Amino acid sequence: MKTIKVTFLALLVCSMLSAQEDYTKSLEGIEWIKIESKADIIVRTHSEKQLRIKAKSSSKTPQKAKGLKLVGSGGSDNTDVGFYVVKEGNTLIVRNLRKWNNGDGEIYLPANQNISVTTNGTSQSDIRIYGFKGEIEANARLNGGIKIENVSGPVTANSLNGNIDISFADVNQGSPITVYSTNGALDIRLPEDTPTNLSIGSTNGEIYTNFELTFPEKNGLKSVSSQRVKQNLNGGGVQLQLKTTNGNIYLRKQE
Amino acid sequence: MEKNHITELLPDYLDSLLTETQNQEVESHLADCNSCSIELKELESIIEVIKNESRIVPSESLRSNFYKQLELEKQNSSKTIALDTAYKQKKHSWTNNLLKIAASVILLVGVYFFGKQQQVERSNEEIAKLTDQSQAFKQTAVLSLMGNQSASKRIQGVTFIEEFAEPDEAIVSALKDRMLHDENTNVRRTAVEVLSTFITSETVKNSFINALKTEKDPGIQITIIQILGKIQEKKAAASMQYLLEQEDTQPYVKDELESVLPNII
Repeated sequence: MKTIKVTFLALLVCSMLSAQEDYTKSLEGIEWIKIESKADIIVRTHSEKQLRIKAKSSSKTPQKAKGLKLVGSGGSDNTDVGFYVVKEGNTLIVRNLRKWNNGDGEIYLPANQNISVTTNGTSQSDIRIYGFKGEIEANARLNGGIKIENVSGPVTANSLNGNIDISFADVNQGSPITVYSTNGALDIRLPEDTPTNLSIGSTNGEIYTNFELTFPEKNGLKSVSSQRVKQNLNGGGVQLQLKTTNGNIYLRKQE
Repeated sequence: MEKNHITELLPDYLDSLLTETQNQEVESHLADCNSCSIELKELESIIEVIKNESRIVPSESLRSNFYKQLELEKQNSSKTIALDTAYKQKKHSWTNNLLKIAASVILLVGVYFFGKQQQVERSNEEIAKLTDQSQAFKQTAVLSLMGNQSASKRIQGVTFIEEFAEPDEAIVSALKDRMLHDENTNVRRTAVEVLSTFITSETVKNSFINALKTEKDPGIQITIIQILGKIQEKKAAASMQYLLEQEDTQPYVKDELESVLPNII
C-alpha cells in the first residue's frame, strides 16, 4: 500500500513538473519577434539560438480549467505556458494571452534578435528589456512604462502614460533612435562620448541634463524648454530624438 | 525560375536581338521578378543617357572665326611683303615678326579659352544631369526606407525628406501615408514634424486636417493642433471642433483646442 502511495505521489510531482516546462521554438528564418501583452513582460538574452518562454508557477492553469484551453482575443494557447505563438512571414508573433496580475511573462532570445514589444494593458503592463544588440521597438500603449537596459539600439520607444528609462551600453550609428512619450517622463543614459545629432523637446515638461547643451537665446533670455533643440554632441552622429508632451526629460551621462 | 535572374539577357532584349522563345522567357520573368524589372529600368535609363550624348564638335563660329583670323593674317603678311623695301625690311622685320608671333599667340590663347568655355558649359550640363540622377536615386532610397519593416528605418526615410528642397508629389504622398497609417506612433509623429516644413502646400494642410479626425495619440494630436494654430488655418476649425466634442479626447488635448480655436475662427 505504501509503495502505491509513493508511486502515486511521484507521478503527481512528475506531471506537475511537466506542466511547468518552458516553451521553446526555433528562430530559423525569423527576422523580427513581435511580442504583445496586456500584462508585464520581461525580455532577456540567452546564449541559445531559440525562443524560450519561461513557464511560471504563478501562471499555472487553475484547477477548474483542467482539460480546457486558455483562449484570448488574439488566439488560443498553443504553448502550454499561456502564450499564442505563430509565424507570419519572417516575423514570429508571440502573444501573451493572460491579462491578470499573475500573467507576467518572461521571454528569452538571442542578443542580436530584432524585437518589437507592445503592451496594451490598463494596469501592470510594463515592458522590461535587458541586453540586446539588435533593433528594439517598445510601445506601451496605455498605462505601462518601459525600461530598457544595456542595449545599443536602434531603439524606437513610445509610451502614453508610463515613464521610459533607457540606458545605452553604446549607440549603434545605423539608424535613428526615437523616444517619445505623451505623459510619461524620459530618463535616458548615454555614454559620455556618444556622437549624435540630438533633437530634444517637450511641450509642457522640463528638460534636465548634464551634457553641454546650448539653448537658442531669444532677446538675451534663455528660451523656454518647449522649444525644439537640435544639437550635435561629440561632433555629430546618428539621430537621437527625445520628445514629450507633458512629461519631463532627463538626459544623463552614463557613469 | 524566380531565382534564375535574366540580367545578362536584358541588353539584347532591349536591342531586340533575342529569339522568340528567349523573348517570352524574359517577359514572363520580368512580370514576377522585381529586381530584374528594376535592372531593366536602370538599363533603359542608361541607354537613354548614352543616346542623348552628342559628340563634341567645335562650333561653326569657332571654325569660321579661325578661318577669318587666318585670312586676315595672310593678307597682313602678304601686304607687308608687297610693301617691303629692302630698307624697310631691315628696319621693321623684327617688329613685324613680333606682331605675327603675338597674333598667333593671341589666336592660340583665344581658341584655348573658347574651347575651355565650351567645355565648362558642357560639364555644367553633365553636373546638372548627375544631380538630377542623384535626386532620383535619393528619392528611390527614401521611398524604399519608408516601406521598411523596421520603424527606425522608416523614421530614417522620413527624416531624409527634410533634405529635399522641393520634394515631388510621390514623396509628399508617401509621407502623408506614413502620417495617417503607420502602425508605429514614433513614425507618425516624425512624419507630422517633417510634413510641417511643407505647410504652405494645400495637400499638406488638408492631410493635417484629416489626421486630426483619425489620429488617436494625444501627443500627435497636440502637435498637429499647434501646427495648424500657428498658421491660423480656418479650414481646420471643423475638425478641431469635432475633436473637442469627442468623449475620448484627452482633457489636455481639449485644453489645447480651446486655446487655439478662438484664434482661427
